[in-house]
Amino acid sequence: MTERNQPSPEHLLEAVLLVSASPINRSDLSSATGLSTQEMQAALAVLAERYSLQTSGIVLRNVAGGYQLSTNPSCSGAVERFRDEARPAPLSGAAHEVLACALYLGPLTRGAVSRVRGVNSDAVVRSLIERHLLAEVGTDHDAPGSPALLSVTDEFLAATGMSSFDDFPSMGSLVTQEELSRVRDRLASGALPPDAGSGSS
Amino acid sequence: MTFEPAGRSLSDFTVELEVYSGPYEWLLALILKDELEIFEVPLRELVGSYLGSREQGAANGLERDTDFAGSAASLILLKSRTLSPALDAEAEGADDESLSPQELAERLTEYLKIRRAAERLREIFASNAGHYPSGHTLPPRPGRLRIKPDRLSLAARQTFSRLIEPPVRHLGPITVTLQELAGMIRTALARGPISYESLTRDMDRLNKAVTFAAALSLAQEGSLTLAQTEPLGPLTLKPSA
Repeated sequence: MTERNQPSPEHLLEAVLLVSASPINRSDLSSATGLSTQEMQAALAVLAERYSLQTSGIVLRNVAGGYQLSTNPSCSGAVERFRDEARPAPLSGAAHEVLACALYLGPLTRGAVSRVRGVNSDAVVRSLIERHLLAEVGTDHDAPGSPALLSVTDEFLAATGMSSFDDFPSMGSLVTQEELSRVRDRLASGALPPDAGSGSS
Repeated sequence: MTFEPAGRSLSDFTVELEVYSGPYEWLLALILKDELEIFEVPLRELVGSYLGSREQGAANGLERDTDFAGSAASLILLKSRTLSPALDAEAEGADDESLSPQELAERLTEYLKIRRAAERLREIFASNAGHYPSGHTLPPRPGRLRIKPDRLSLAARQTFSRLIEPPVRHLGPITVTLQELAGMIRTALARGPISYESLTRDMDRLNKAVTFAAALSLAQEGSLTLAQTEPLGPLTLKPSA
């Protein structure tokens, strides 16, 4: 504290961030602490240095469009032992594919996900919704039966350490032209590439 | 009549997979109940796990191997059927579409990009694992609950809409009912005890099965008694005293 009952901007931000389980955006931080944009910018820079992977067991993350204090991954073993819980099981290949569909092609329906992957994906979608990585965000009114549209969530952004969807590499950059040409050539010659079949299994 | 519980030679076999850890029999149950997707179960790892758990010279080794081979073959069949686009499309009522080479190339290209994106996501998830946020959860404050109309509409639609009925095209027409065969059994029993074999002599397998179910149903309600002197021996239906 700088003076009695006069907390510094960093202390105010620390206190608010400490009690939030989800990322807080700048607007909410500002309205909670009463700090100006400049004060908050400076205080966040100080906190980022104080709470970095190298200097603390707590890290300040800029994820899902906001700021969040979380534990340092190097301490995760102790946290898991204390909470007596195992780290969530890693996602399967099918789950990563469904998330990639929702991230790059979404919002899209369950049927559209299945069409892209070539296999029914309903069970995978269900498990991802249960893990809060995927959510129904609307309805496709043009499709028969008005199926729900799926999109990735803020929890997904937090789990991937990204601040926004723009932080992900573009889909076009993930595959080289040579690789695409190889697929077309093999298709033309009647032989499918080994990893361009339907849905990961 | 005595029923011996079927042997469970694989009851002690547990598996450790990325998607599941626990008894093998539960794994099968989860797959059958659609709570675990067959695509996510690496069958090669499963077989490897079983081979690693085998005990040379075990008393029930042959029975265990046979049971595992049978269930593993079923899993392979189920997985291959589910992965078959043609069967899948038929099950979902999709039109039988034939893709031109150009369209197929476009689909494969799109899938390849998704596949690469999924691989990238796996790396991103792995490098960001182990972050735990504050355990403090703020209770929702009254008056601050905001509900978007389209979310409310979606929730109402999901709550009140009819569930999609399971496909029954693979089932044949109903040619016989339990009630009809129960009536036939009652008529036959009016003349005295009768053996199940003579009762169903001229029936096909379906009618025989339904007749057995009808007999069990009548026995349960006390209309008849079933007598069998030895396991797999002749079964006699007797009117209740």
